[in-house]
Amino acid sequence: MPIEPVAQLLSVALDSSVLLGGSGPLDLPFREGYVWSIIYVSLYVSLTAVTLSTLFSVPVAVLLGFAEFPGKGFVKSVINTGMGFPSVVVGLVVLFAVSNQGPLGALELIFTTEAMIMSQFVLATPPITAITLASVSGVDDGVRDAARALGGTRLDTALVVLKEARYGIATAILAGFGRAISEVGSVLIVGGNITSADGISKTRTLTTAIQLEARQGQYGTAMILGAVLVALVLTVNAVVVHFGDSGVTR
Amino acid sequence: MLRATGVSKSFGGERVFDDLSVEVDSGEVLGVIGPSGVGKTTLLRTLALSLEPDAGTVALGGTDAWAAEEADRLALRRRVGMVFQEASLFDASVGRNVEYGLRVRSPWADRIAASLGLTGTPDAVRESLAVVGLTEKANQHADSLSGGEAQRVSFARALAYDPDVLLLDEPTSDLDPRNTAVIEEAIEEARARGIGVVVATHDMHQAERVADRVAVLLDDGITEVGPTEVIFENPSDERTRKFISGELVY
Repeated sequence: MPIEPVAQLLSVALDSSVLLGGSGPLDLPFREGYVWSIIYVSLYVSLTAVTLSTLFSVPVAVLLGFAEFPGKGFVKSVINTGMGFPSVVVGLVVLFAVSNQGPLGALELIFTTEAMIMSQFVLATPPITAITLASVSGVDDGVRDAARALGGTRLDTALVVLKEARYGIATAILAGFGRAISEVGSVLIVGGNITSADGISKTRTLTTAIQLEARQGQYGTAMILGAVLVALVLTVNAVVVHFGDSGVTR
Repeated sequence: MLRATGVSKSFGGERVFDDLSVEVDSGEVLGVIGPSGVGKTTLLRTLALSLEPDAGTVALGGTDAWAAEEADRLALRRRVGMVFQEASLFDASVGRNVEYGLRVRSPWADRIAASLGLTGTPDAVRESLAVVGLTEKANQHADSLSGGEAQRVSFARALAYDPDVLLLDEPTSDLDPRNTAVIEEAIEEARARGIGVVVATHDMHQAERVADRVAVLLDDGITEVGPTEVIFENPSDERTRKFISGELVY
């Protein structure tokens, strides 16, 4: 990259008023509140999807980890395969589901954040389930035996296993969040990358905004948004790691 | 107190033991001796009501556990404590480990309060740790303990909720003489409290030191049960005599 654009980028990064939509030294196409709105939509969609996925995936993984049944290996393979689902295919399937002719057409979810949450839920669920299942399965059988021998019920034993596997589960949630927040293809298809007339995001996320800016040749703007995205992911990771560590008394 | 009558257990068609009967009374220490792999652990798990026998009955205080409703069986199971060959402590402080059995017997409101640190360390936890000489370690993390200390905590964990019967599966097989002595003193303390203790061990000297009665478990079941001095000095069964004298090599 030539030196001059890099210098421009640095000066923009140091001037938060530009980034956040105020008037600044460079004439970048950020309207008042634009960046905040796409950060908000990105976080709202991804955090909601990952929260719902966690509420679904962790109990499923624990049940799978405890249960023994024919075909358990096949179920695990299906979950692991789900980690490689192409996001555009997921987007197409969700688009079909929420389109006027689809089974959820009456809910009028097409090009809404709710549809984006649905597609991110589908994408985040396999990694969260698979990594949680691996963590739960990795807990020493002796710990389960001890919990039961000490008078624990099945629920008590499951809670002990969850506590023992908490770092793996935190990693699973972070992996799901990473997949969701960095997603472009499906949210573009089901969300439509829409802003309102005043430039505030309706369904535009950081990733779809970056894709748009890059396609229009606005590489500097795309880079700044990329930096914001990386900072967001780092922040969420740091918060989760911090709370994970603070829960241990050593 | 705890009585198994005519119990049989197989895994995958492979018989572990057949038509086996054994009992322990309050304030009595029963040693179960036999070579490794003969089914001592399976017998103890059956006595602990963790494994349902294929045939026969296991009764605690006259109540047939496997004929009882599940809730009643849980209540019976909670009157039995078990210490495994591996300590398998939870990823928590020593105090929290020892408290576990008490916690799962408490109402959920009390459990949540304890989890939030709103309650102090119960007296039973301090007393149990005192029995194994580890009172000062209550606030240390379980990972910081030596193997011998971890096994002593495992013993205290089972003693804390004052079980009627305590089952010990090779409790000192990996311990040095000092920690072995502490565990054997703790067995004495349990007996003094009126707890019935079953110690499965391949260490005949230990059985001789701690047991009031000894059951000899060989390949074809229990060959002989009797007072410790009779079993070791004047066994009536020829296979028992050969096993005690070391002529019967496995």
